[in-house]
Amino acid sequence: MAHAKDIAWCPGCGNFPIRAALEGALKELALPTEKVVLTSGIGQGAKMPHYLDAHFFNGLHGRSVPLAAGIKIVRPDLTVIAVSGDGCMYGEGGNHFVHAIRKNLDITILTTDNQIFALTKGQSSPTTDAGVRNAFDPQGNPHRPLNPLSLAIALGAPFVARCFAREKDHLKETIKEAVRFKGTALIDILQPCVSFNKINTYQWYGERVFKVSSPAADRFEAMKTAELWGDRIAIGIIYRNDGAEVREGADVFRRPVSRESMEQLLQEVHA
Amino acid sequence: MECNVKFGGEAGHGLLTLELELTERLSRIGCRFFATKNYMSRIRGGHNFHMVRIAEGPVHALSGDPWDVVIAFDEESERRHRATLQGKGIFISKDGIQEIEKTARDAFGDVRATHSILVGVILSIIGYPLEKLMSGADTGAFNYWLKGYETADRWSLSGAFPVTPRAKTAYRFDGNQALAFGALLGGCQFMAGYPMTPASSIMNYIAQASLKIPVHFEQAEDEIAAINMALGASYAGVRSMVATSGGGFALMTEGVSLAGMTETPIVIIEAQRPGPSTGLPTRTEQGDLNFVLHAGHGEFPRAVFAPGSIDEAVAVARRSFDLSDRYQAPVFILTDQYFADSIQLIEEAPALEPQRRDYGTFGASYRRYALTHDGVSPLACPGVGAAVVKVDSDEHDEEGTITEDLDLRIRMVDKRLQKLSGLGREVIPPSFFGDNTADVLLVCWGSNKLIMKEAVERLNRRGRKVGGLHFSQVYPLDGDMTAGFDLAGKTVVCIENNATGQFAGLLKRELGVTVSHRILKYNGECFTVREICDRVVAFMEG
Repeated sequence: MAHAKDIAWCPGCGNFPIRAALEGALKELALPTEKVVLTSGIGQGAKMPHYLDAHFFNGLHGRSVPLAAGIKIVRPDLTVIAVSGDGCMYGEGGNHFVHAIRKNLDITILTTDNQIFALTKGQSSPTTDAGVRNAFDPQGNPHRPLNPLSLAIALGAPFVARCFAREKDHLKETIKEAVRFKGTALIDILQPCVSFNKINTYQWYGERVFKVSSPAADRFEAMKTAELWGDRIAIGIIYRNDGAEVREGADVFRRPVSRESMEQLLQEVHA
Repeated sequence: MECNVKFGGEAGHGLLTLELELTERLSRIGCRFFATKNYMSRIRGGHNFHMVRIAEGPVHALSGDPWDVVIAFDEESERRHRATLQGKGIFISKDGIQEIEKTARDAFGDVRATHSILVGVILSIIGYPLEKLMSGADTGAFNYWLKGYETADRWSLSGAFPVTPRAKTAYRFDGNQALAFGALLGGCQFMAGYPMTPASSIMNYIAQASLKIPVHFEQAEDEIAAINMALGASYAGVRSMVATSGGGFALMTEGVSLAGMTETPIVIIEAQRPGPSTGLPTRTEQGDLNFVLHAGHGEFPRAVFAPGSIDEAVAVARRSFDLSDRYQAPVFILTDQYFADSIQLIEEAPALEPQRRDYGTFGASYRRYALTHDGVSPLACPGVGAAVVKVDSDEHDEEGTITEDLDLRIRMVDKRLQKLSGLGREVIPPSFFGDNTADVLLVCWGSNKLIMKEAVERLNRRGRKVGGLHFSQVYPLDGDMTAGFDLAGKTVVCIENNATGQFAGLLKRELGVTVSHRILKYNGECFTVREICDRVVAFMEG
């Protein structure tokens, strides 16, 4: 890893094992490096592409998903992975998250979910539990948390998974499944923030997570598993539907507009 | 000779159907015209009116003179428009329309034939020979028109305002179609957008074109997504654009800044309507010039065009994609509701050779932001050659990796801004009309071009010494653009569809030109030729 010396994460950050798992997954999938594109937004998790060897577009806060959609639509030949934090994916980018799932393009969405805004130094995020005190919530977060898995399942997402950063092999294997999957695949990755989230620590998650042996048979069963939170938190592929129709991209790259077709357009529409 | 026709009624009366059928037929028979409309933001009811100026010479504006024919589909149209007729004008009242509707039902069992019968009435009024209509039309349509000719005979209207068709070839475009057509010629193969008047018809055109042409339209969940999708597609190697109006563009501005920082080519069409906020959604204004000039935080280069005719719109749209690719900077096209919704003829086919992006193949040593003498780094896209293409919204090094090296920051800012010099060297010069020895020089930009041109011609014919200068490129402005026109030595009068004279301010700021007088209009309607003439004369005599 050429960039190791420059990594901007705190020692012990949950992003390190996620980076390693993602790197391992891409390597084991044996995808040609020149065909893999990462997009990301802004936040500590969104710096991920800088520490991997792949093409990337590190865009704006919340916008990793529409970037990924634009790339995938015109370049179906590329493997496109959007990676960003919970604030980026579910807060600023919440509308894009909802509608990207409706599109069902063949992209992978990885959320490094630490239940906090960390780069801005400790504000509640869309996945922060209710009542938790953070910088802007001295009396406790007044909002209910968003459950990204339930939301995705409700929207008809065909591949919905949760992983835990410390379960590196499990994460790596799940990433491989998600990338191989034809359609929009979501992995919400529980990622301890050692600097700003003193509640949801490695130990806290470690005591609660359990692996599901296989995806649920239908969306409604999956929803029950996704909703487990508190004492027990399910990780693994919670829901999978290989039968959902996948949006194909457009055949436009290196297929330029011809003079003949413009002549035809002129005559048919304007003459 | 001319025949100026106005028809009004409620939304839902089929006025647009009438306009489209009439203008298509006029175009097919080689009859010159200009058509535009004035409509409300609603689906049914209210009051809309359409204006068609049929003429022997080329016309590209409303004359502003009293109307030759007024057709009223309802009482409100009678009330509003009857008084705008000239002395010998023809008035077809609501009762007249009901008579035609009865004919439609009796003869064809279909009240929808009313509009086709009215097309026949109008063709009869301009004295177009009925027998010539036979060729090239299907029998069904011909029978409708025939009823129109019979009706006109009964009402003694045949040949009341004769106009001879004089165009040898004619292609019919509205302003938005011209921009979309030009975009395809520019090699645009991806567009994302969210519906918004008056930009939607550009999206509609591209979506329809995609059935036969390798271009994709993606309807986005909002304008923020639209511009980010377009930037993603451009990064991936495909020339891309977005179109919207002021309010939607407000959402896009973070993406404009992203394009500036990441140096990702993109073309942005901003179809203006009166603001602020929702404003008058279906009316016209040129109020977003300053907004587009300054949109996006931070400092980065851009170019802004404002075409004023159909052929200019096609050419400018085509050129914008090439320019955006070569300078890796956002290129804007400013248009407005008036231009978007006006149907005009061009009598020569546009150059039809489409452009395309060149795909350079680079090796593993490729650096997306390599520092160069002109600020332009080689543009690669993922999956072509061994180049790894890294693009970052943060300040970055030559490879595209995030950096906080503050010396490098200066070099990167300078590199990006350096591109403005190149952009400034290939600006499109303004077009001049009229008398170059005149002391009074009218100046305008965008859609006022051909209204001003006809006003200058009319004023010159009346012995008024004026010239006219139109800018189809409004940024960057370069002193060489106006070198031949002696702006400093003349009384400059700036004509704009806004309340504050934004272009006049830009001329002062960029070129040091002092504008002596501003002719402004901001009620949501376009200028007419007569209105400009009257206001120029009032100024000259004032």
